Amino acid sequence: MASRVLTVATLVAAVQLAGCSAFRSYDSELQETNQHLSSGNVDAALQLLEKNNKGEDKDLLYYFEKGELLRSKGDLAGSQLAWRSADDVVFKWEESVKLDTDKYLSQFGSYLVNDKVRRYEGYDYEKVMLTTQMALNLLAQNDFDGARTEIKKTHEREAVIAELRDKEYLKREEEAEKEGVKTEYKDLQGYPVAALDAPEVVGLKNSYQSAFSHYLSGYVYEALGEKGLAAPGYRKAAELRPNTPLLEQALLELDKPAAKTTDSDVLIVIQSGLAPARDSVRIPLPLPISGNLVITPLSFPVIKEDTSTAHFSEIYLNDRELKLTALNSTTAMSRRALRDDMPGIILRTSVRAISRGVAQKQLNDVNPLAGLAVGIASTVTEGADTRTWRTLPDETQVARVRLRQGEHQLSLPSSLGGSQVSVKIDRPFQVVTLRVVGNQVFAGGPALHVEPKATAQAVASLKQP
Amino acid sequence: MIARISLAALAIALVSGCSTPSPVLGGKNIGYGDSKAVELVTNEFGSTDLQMIAESMTRSLAQSGILQGRPVVQVYDVKNKTSEYIDTREITTSIKTQLMKSGTARFASDNTQMQSQVDQLKLQNQSGLYKKNTVAKTGNMIAAKYRLEGSISSIVKRSSDYKDVFYKFSLQLIDVESGLAEWMDEKEIRKTTER
Repeated sequence: MASRVLTVATLVAAVQLAGCSAFRSYDSELQETNQHLSSGNVDAALQLLEKNNKGEDKDLLYYFEKGELLRSKGDLAGSQLAWRSADDVVFKWEESVKLDTDKYLSQFGSYLVNDKVRRYEGYDYEKVMLTTQMALNLLAQNDFDGARTEIKKTHEREAVIAELRDKEYLKREEEAEKEGVKTEYKDLQGYPVAALDAPEVVGLKNSYQSAFSHYLSGYVYEALGEKGLAAPGYRKAAELRPNTPLLEQALLELDKPAAKTTDSDVLIVIQSGLAPARDSVRIPLPLPISGNLVITPLSFPVIKEDTSTAHFSEIYLNDRELKLTALNSTTAMSRRALRDDMPGIILRTSVRAISRGVAQKQLNDVNPLAGLAVGIASTVTEGADTRTWRTLPDETQVARVRLRQGEHQLSLPSSLGGSQVSVKIDRPFQVVTLRVVGNQVFAGGPALHVEPKATAQAVASLKQP
Repeated sequence: MIARISLAALAIALVSGCSTPSPVLGGKNIGYGDSKAVELVTNEFGSTDLQMIAESMTRSLAQSGILQGRPVVQVYDVKNKTSEYIDTREITTSIKTQLMKSGTARFASDNTQMQSQVDQLKLQNQSGLYKKNTVAKTGNMIAAKYRLEGSISSIVKRSSDYKDVFYKFSLQLIDVESGLAEWMDEKEIRKTTER
């Protein structure tokens, strides 16, 4: 009787867990949200986001996604408000790391909890991109002083992350040695290893430093007349993306005396696509359980690239082609983050599976039915963490031009619907940001106006006989 | 005897009464520190480096004997040749402040202040809002006899358990009329961290 009660209790616990974040499929939730976004229906995307996050206690991801959706809608103030809440969460994380790094690392390295039931604290590149996107929001409203604050925060945060990761990787190596787990991600049969070893992933210095972020910081400091701070921004960007003429040019131009011209120095920023998704794959690994090697299926995260938006590398400015320079790829950063995390994930997942296997075997010997229930429950709850900021743009490309003050026309390649955007240039330094998802173009701020699709297509068809 | 002790007690009470510190609100782990304390939190450019550079440059310049009769100096931005976000303007501001306080030099409007200066002159002279005899006249700004400029560069080397950063800050004072460098000095800082 007692055993039956135990079995029922275990099953009930498993079902209850299903209600909480352990069973939340973030991937499918956001697939739908992003579909609304790429069809241009931002309001529906926002409604769905609210529907999926009804609880009082909103997490970091909710604020990440909400900020980006509101930004696409053109509600820059609302977007900034949502991201301010996300920034508070990241700030608290930053403080806890700075105050006691060792305590943080030992909690994070805990073997008992599955990664996906942990409170979401954001990947390093997401933290860096958050304040970069916030700076873009402010720049769309020509608030360079506000943007300077966000940019300063970005590089201070980057320094905290760098120091933490240095310590973490050292500690993990020691622990893997202690636990005797020698599996590397290259040993996982059937795991898409090539994606993690791609040149654009291995070529990154780390997962969190963004050349775009540093280039933007150089531009903002230059616009504010602070050349002493602009120089390291451009220099860091050039170090992160070597052999990029745009970055080397920026550094050279900085030393030249200011040109006697009334033309504006305009930075065009095109952010396209969506961040990649994370999915879970099961891979069997031999684990030492109670003295025997038992083949146990374990779950590992994989990166799924977004295909909503075609790649392009030029736009048209007043009907003339303008080449873009790619400075940031979220897919590459996300892959790099996973590549660097993989040893830790393998270590934690294996140790957890071993201890669970031992417990289950002991229970099996006493009560096979309860053992089975525990087995079912653990199979259901065990899955890789698939949460990640999904509405974040994938690629960021830029072009820097000198433009006469007044109205100008930007248009996208016809492969992306050929949308037209009119731009009003009226400042000595101005940042123009466009967001492209699928065939949709989103633009915010007083200087930009996306022209209705119908006329844009008419113009395009007139030009192509 | 008792009277003497109680007198002493009264005196102590009085003295301690005088030195009662301001009340403190909250603050479990928060405290104010000495702004001159040597800061060794990380081996990036920090507050101590800024103070060290500013102090050594000011001392050297003030003792050089060049700045006779409080000449007018124009301060240019210090060129940042490192890949660290060092606010070099804060270094020159510190040097300027210390030279100004000791009365060794006067400073002309620099690049950043120039626009505000011109705007204010225009406003006073062209808007017609001000009383005639209080309006600052144009054409009376004092030109600089010297210009002060410099640069900061760094060499960073790291191995798996060692990081070495070397900073070199150099500053020079140039006579605007002759183009001759009249004074020059540099400050070197080396910081190492072992893991």
